[in-house]
Amino acid sequence: MSANDSASERSPLAGVSRATLFASFLKMGLLGFGGVLPWARRIIVDERRWLDDREFAELIGLCQVLPGPNVVNLAVIIGARSHGPLGSLIAMTGILFVPIGVMLSIAIFYAAVAHAPVARNAIAGASAAAAGLILGTALRLLLQTRPPPRGILPGAAAFVAVGVLQWPLLWVILVLIVVGIAAEWRAARRARAESA
Amino acid sequence: MTVVEILVEIAVRFALLSLVAIGGINAILPEIHRVVVDVEGWMTSPEFAELFALAQLAPGPNAMVVALIGWKVAGLAGALVATLAACGPSSVACYVAWHWADRLRHSSGRAIVQRALAPIAIGLIMASGYTLALGADHSPGAFALTALAAAALAFTRVNPVWVLLAAAIAGIAGLA
Repeated sequence: MSANDSASERSPLAGVSRATLFASFLKMGLLGFGGVLPWARRIIVDERRWLDDREFAELIGLCQVLPGPNVVNLAVIIGARSHGPLGSLIAMTGILFVPIGVMLSIAIFYAAVAHAPVARNAIAGASAAAAGLILGTALRLLLQTRPPPRGILPGAAAFVAVGVLQWPLLWVILVLIVVGIAAEWRAARRARAESA
Repeated sequence: MTVVEILVEIAVRFALLSLVAIGGINAILPEIHRVVVDVEGWMTSPEFAELFALAQLAPGPNAMVVALIGWKVAGLAGALVATLAACGPSSVACYVAWHWADRLRHSSGRAIVQRALAPIAIGLIMASGYTLALGADHSPGAFALTALAAAALAFTRVNPVWVLLAAAIAGIAGLA
């Protein structure tokens, strides 16, 4: 295989059928109560084995830097890797357009049930767990990818700045990308110098 | 304003915001709020908050809130226009960026950028979980549910559906 071969020819995504692509993203969309990301990691990494944890974390990093919802960007890229632009549309339909249809149907009945005490209590419990699912996904990715200290620092800074201090995301990302890339670049140069 | 004028207004405003929505729809939600509540007066601030909560509760990406906003302002056509305008331009940009990144796949520069982005991504996911927990956890019981769900996902292979269902039942039992 030459260096010019497309990544999609070697990745497990090349053999994915359109139906499987759609079904997988539909599952993420329709099960994603309180956040799609935990489902995206579970289905893409554990169930389908399209990517490993490291590749998933790197891809989500790219999706976060690009404008647009992270999981929609994820659908665009994974879809593109298996079926080009059509694949992007198929994955987006599963994760975004179908759930929107479901949500609009729910919205019509929402007012009638939202204020029932049983519904409110169930939602309170599920919302608390949904936050935990996202924290658990981050923890799992951290344990599986084990970044070196030069990566832990920008990661911890991202958490504190955006989560605890609630600083504007755009500026935090821009600054941390520059810092993170500089640290990785220095480490790569040092590794080259040592091997030379 | 006629319905068509409203649709054009939504399309133009949301499409421009789409291209600066780094971090997702939440990054541009304050600006959307300013436009639909303060500038245009299409809805009140509490109505906006209720749409946001509803989008969080429904299964699917949080970005679905833009469809609800469009729906509230201009019905089904509004939902369609708002969704395509808010997600279309960013998705095209993402597709183009991916194509470009794919060509550089063997460059050491791309490997460096990817290695740098992964831990920042994990930190940002943790930040979003933390922010959601702040909003959801108003009692020791709710805090415990968050911690248990996080541990279940990080250390076991349990299906998240059971975690959410168990937490909903715990909520009904008055534990949240």
